[in-house]
Amino acid sequence: MSTESSNNLAWRHKKATAFRFFCVGVTGFAVAILAVLIFQVTSLGLPWLDMQFLDSFPSRFPEKAGIKSALAGTLWLISLTAMISIPVGVLAAVYLEEYAPPNRVTEFINVNIANLAGVPSIVYGILGLAIFVRFFALERSVISGALTMSLLILPVIIISSKEAIKAVPSSLRQAAYAVGATRWQVVRSHVLPAALPGVLTGVILAASRAIGETAPLIMIGALTFVAFTPEGPMDEFTALPIQIFNWTSRPQEEFHELASAGIIVLLAVLLMMNAIAVLIRHRGSKKG
Amino acid sequence: MSDTDNVILDIDDVCISYGDELAVRNVTLPIYEKKITAIIGPSGCGKSTLLRSLNRMNDFIHACTQDGHIAFHESDLYASSTDPVEVRRRIGMVFQRPNPFPKSIYRNIAWGPTINGFSGNMDERVELALKQAALWDEVKDRLQDSALNLSGGQQQRLCIARALALEPEIILMDEPCSALDPVSTARIEDLLFELKESYTIVIVTHNMQQASRVSDFTAFLENGVLVEYGETEDVFTRPENERTEEYVTGRFG
Ligand SMILES: Nc1ncnc2c1ncn2[C@@H]1O[C@H](COP(=O)(O)OP(=O)(O)OP(=O)(O)O)[C@@H](O)[C@H]1O
Ligand SMILES: [Mg+2]
Repeated sequence: MSTESSNNLAWRHKKATAFRFFCVGVTGFAVAILAVLIFQVTSLGLPWLDMQFLDSFPSRFPEKAGIKSALAGTLWLISLTAMISIPVGVLAAVYLEEYAPPNRVTEFINVNIANLAGVPSIVYGILGLAIFVRFFALERSVISGALTMSLLILPVIIISSKEAIKAVPSSLRQAAYAVGATRWQVVRSHVLPAALPGVLTGVILAASRAIGETAPLIMIGALTFVAFTPEGPMDEFTALPIQIFNWTSRPQEEFHELASAGIIVLLAVLLMMNAIAVLIRHRGSKKG
Repeated sequence: MSDTDNVILDIDDVCISYGDELAVRNVTLPIYEKKITAIIGPSGCGKSTLLRSLNRMNDFIHACTQDGHIAFHESDLYASSTDPVEVRRRIGMVFQRPNPFPKSIYRNIAWGPTINGFSGNMDERVELALKQAALWDEVKDRLQDSALNLSGGQQQRLCIARALALEPEIILMDEPCSALDPVSTARIEDLLFELKESYTIVIVTHNMQQASRVSDFTAFLENGVLVEYGETEDVFTRPENERTEEYVTGRFG
């Protein structure tokens, strides 16, 4: 009896070890692929990455071509998108979690936000084209792009913010209500600060998606050859992924290498956004 | 009884249900000013539910519906003209588990008065509340530390101080000692005696000794029904109801 149970234990330990190796293997595989990708991109693109590349407009000649307009366009696009989608998304999540009565209508809204998160981005492009570009006559401007991108990422921001707000323990809310706080005071001073890390994670995920999206931008008519940087929200623009896509579709080998350099810039912008989020989160958790 | 004119909370024929489930059934009970009233009874009998109805914390539970009347200083606690935020400022609550804000000790106390428009000397207010809760000596040198670094017993006293800082008229306590060791429990009981001078206290407890030690009046609930209510001494020494006797002497089935 005792040997049987100890054998059984040994077998369970074996299974546990096997599963651990399996997990390590899978993780290793993912990391390896990522490493190969980054290695390829940097080995191709790094030689092209210099100030001249960052500070030049696109050109027919690879050695003169640069990413200035695309980088500026992406920064404009992502800033405007963040300014529109973060407040709207977070406040919508606050409403749905803290204010909305738990009835059928709320349930219906929640389900459909989840559905919207699964809609292909090209559909948002068509919507943006019809509503912002045509109906509101905003033309092919950065603001059209930002509004379209905001629609695209709002479901992600709302869902992740909702989860973060839901994770705030109800004992904290009760404590605040019990000292005579109004709903808004509870939300502002306790729920939102406690939910901030989760909200930021969602925002970064959403922004990363927006920064890499090409299809909706092409749909609303962002240009592929832009020899100027946007001066205001009504200007025409291009964006990094569009420029990268444009370069990869050219036959000359040099342009492919330029595309790699563009990808490095895109990744750098992404990392910078992440760093900002980490910074905000860190400061949020430090102040008491 | 000579105290009858000092009823601060008059609970009259109150029924509370969660959906279809009746948790409190036709409870009628006076709460006397500057006395300690203990609510005892087996787990799930509706003690917390009844307590939460006294400062409208049940408002946040959606399935929760309530019938009957509760008068606070003779005005209807649930009237549409009564502001629940104001009610909660005047009737404070200490919860079963310590739930300090994840902020500094100082901010924990100061937040309530701040949002309620307190304009006096906040440092003094914080110090007074912490002294009343017998916590001042332990934390006076680290008021800016996070409240989460305190021990469980200290956190619970901090929560009491947080409630006191608003100078409420009534303090509702839901098993405030259930997560505490005997030493901390004894300190909080001492504290209750001191607070009785200026506050009305309603305390839910599972600890019979505690109820008999600290309270002036005791209410025994079973299955949401108020089985017995009276002066604590009577309830514990000559209960009228057999069930009460079985419960307070620990022979409860
Ligand atoms: N939020 C809720 N939703 C639905 N039912 C609830 C809720 N809270 C309590 N109940 C039910 O109401 C009844 C009374 O619960 P209550 O928490 O008041 O009991 P209690 O006397 O405080 O018990 P304990 O001593 O274990 O804390 C129980 O049957 C419980 O299941
Ligand atoms: Mg309870």
